Amino acid sequence: MARGVMLMSGGIDSPVAMHYLLRQGHELLAVHMDNRPFTDDSPLSKVVDHLAILRERYHQPIPLYVVPHGTTQVTLMRETDRHVGCVLCRRFMWRSAERVAEREGATFLVTGEALGQVASQTLSNMRSATASVHLPIVRPLIGFDKQEIEAVAKSIGTYEISTRPGVCCQAVPDKPATRSNLVQILREEEQLDVEQMIDDCVRKAVIL
Amino acid sequence: MYRTLRLCSSGGGFEALPDPPRPLNLGRVRAALEAAGVSVIDARVMLIASLETEVTISRAGRLLFKTADPAAADRAFARLRPLLE
Repeated sequence: MARGVMLMSGGIDSPVAMHYLLRQGHELLAVHMDNRPFTDDSPLSKVVDHLAILRERYHQPIPLYVVPHGTTQVTLMRETDRHVGCVLCRRFMWRSAERVAEREGATFLVTGEALGQVASQTLSNMRSATASVHLPIVRPLIGFDKQEIEAVAKSIGTYEISTRPGVCCQAVPDKPATRSNLVQILREEEQLDVEQMIDDCVRKAVIL
Repeated sequence: MYRTLRLCSSGGGFEALPDPPRPLNLGRVRAALEAAGVSVIDARVMLIASLETEVTISRAGRLLFKTADPAAADRAFARLRPLLE
């Protein structure tokens, strides 16, 4: 079975997506993009608790890379168009995950995205975000609706963790773009030293 | 300008909104915070101030206190409010 890197947010979807791939016997590593100070400590503690459940259930070590993302958020907020902030943020998350995958010999990336659930998960935004990486991206939940995902989360014991109180991401703009244009996204990134930003974040990652 | 502190929608913190709505001059707020010895991250469209609890201050005037402890939020609010008005 293949080795993959899963982006874990602390929300309802990502542990469910991970559950499906672990059930198939794939070997997974987790990456959590640590959005503090734009969130509180709760997303990380939720991811840690999700992984405890999934490690026990599937008898896999599932290493967790905690990649600091707050500095990147500050740069994006200061230097780029706020309207496309979620897409840009997502591109940096994918790049960080891909960098971890390269380091760990993983051959694919995984996400809990389901089409149309939130602003960043429209087809055009997904395309703009994932054009930043080369590895294949697996989305086990792409056609699920929220109720289906929640039902699975409850059955595997991760729902109660995901729904604990926590501060939402404060970097989300008031009116995030739902239909992004890749040309504009690339133009926004021309102002940034993308490789250096990714290097800085991944170098500071902590493995739990 | 700020009267009430209430639990935010996700239940993880407390928020205060200006009443009536009034945007903030974040440059002036940042200067006031730093003059009071408060550490501030300036993300251009918002500030993040390190008081007893971390507080996000948006350009629209929304304050978000990142704590589930109402007493800690109250104390941070009391310290911050005079610096905004």
